[in-house]
Amino acid sequence: MKLDRDRPDDEIPTSSMADIAFLLIVFFMITTTFTATRGLDFALPEDDDDPPVVEKEESVLIEILPSGELIVDQDPMQLHEIIPYLKPKLERNPKKPVIIRPDTATPYKYMVQVYDELRQGEDHGLAEPINISVPTQREIQSFWY
Amino acid sequence: MKLKATIEHKPNIPTASMADIAFLLIIFFMLTITFEVDKTQVVLPKTTLRYEIPKQSAYVSIDPNGRIRVSDGNEQSALVSAADEVLSMAAGVIAMDPQKVFVVKSDGEVSWEKVDEVIDALKRAKVRDVYLLSDQRTVTDG
Repeated sequence: MKLDRDRPDDEIPTSSMADIAFLLIVFFMITTTFTATRGLDFALPEDDDDPPVVEKEESVLIEILPSGELIVDQDPMQLHEIIPYLKPKLERNPKKPVIIRPDTATPYKYMVQVYDELRQGEDHGLAEPINISVPTQREIQSFWY
Repeated sequence: MKLKATIEHKPNIPTASMADIAFLLIIFFMLTITFEVDKTQVVLPKTTLRYEIPKQSAYVSIDPNGRIRVSDGNEQSALVSAADEVLSMAAGVIAMDPQKVFVVKSDGEVSWEKVDEVIDALKRAKVRDVYLLSDQRTVTDG
């Protein structure tokens, strides 16, 4: 007599695997946000209570007015004129500090613009990176003379 | 004459490799995903130089209205009332990890006074590495 036995299926059910996988893909696609993850590095010097005294004549002062106009060592200047102005000074003294001093009302983007330009000094033919300093208002009030 | 029975083929789409492709995509998304800890909407300043910011950096964001939000890089950013709170948060983070990188994410139109307060607070908290988050400057930006 022939027995009619149900043979158990020896396959692993994988039909729902793709569903689960695509569900996970949809989750990651929705939660992934492509954001700006790049920026300018801005190494902060140590907060020194007794900073080295820099004579005014030894440094270059870049003032940024609220309108975005630049005053470099008392003279109005365009952004692209800064590096050619600094070049002979920095060739004589590569460590000469260049101080950026924005007005308190100056939009932040103008300060970033100037900082970005100075950071590109080596691309404009300078031998060494510029010694840039951006003192905070507290430091200006405490140590500026 | 005996006719051969025609073999009927069941129509089916081969889906065996679908799961492989799907899992490959999952692995890609899992490796590239970074959960945004700060969702403040700002118009970033544009710079030519831009460097990759390390993952899990702490964030200090300043929106166009001057409101400051802080995040230690793990938690979602929270609103703070003054820059002094940035100092206490940053000091706490630096005490745990002295090498922690901080990111200043500020709207370009915010006054320097506001950003200056934040940078000063980070300086006082002994933060060494700060990144100013920016967008790419292109030739059309002038």
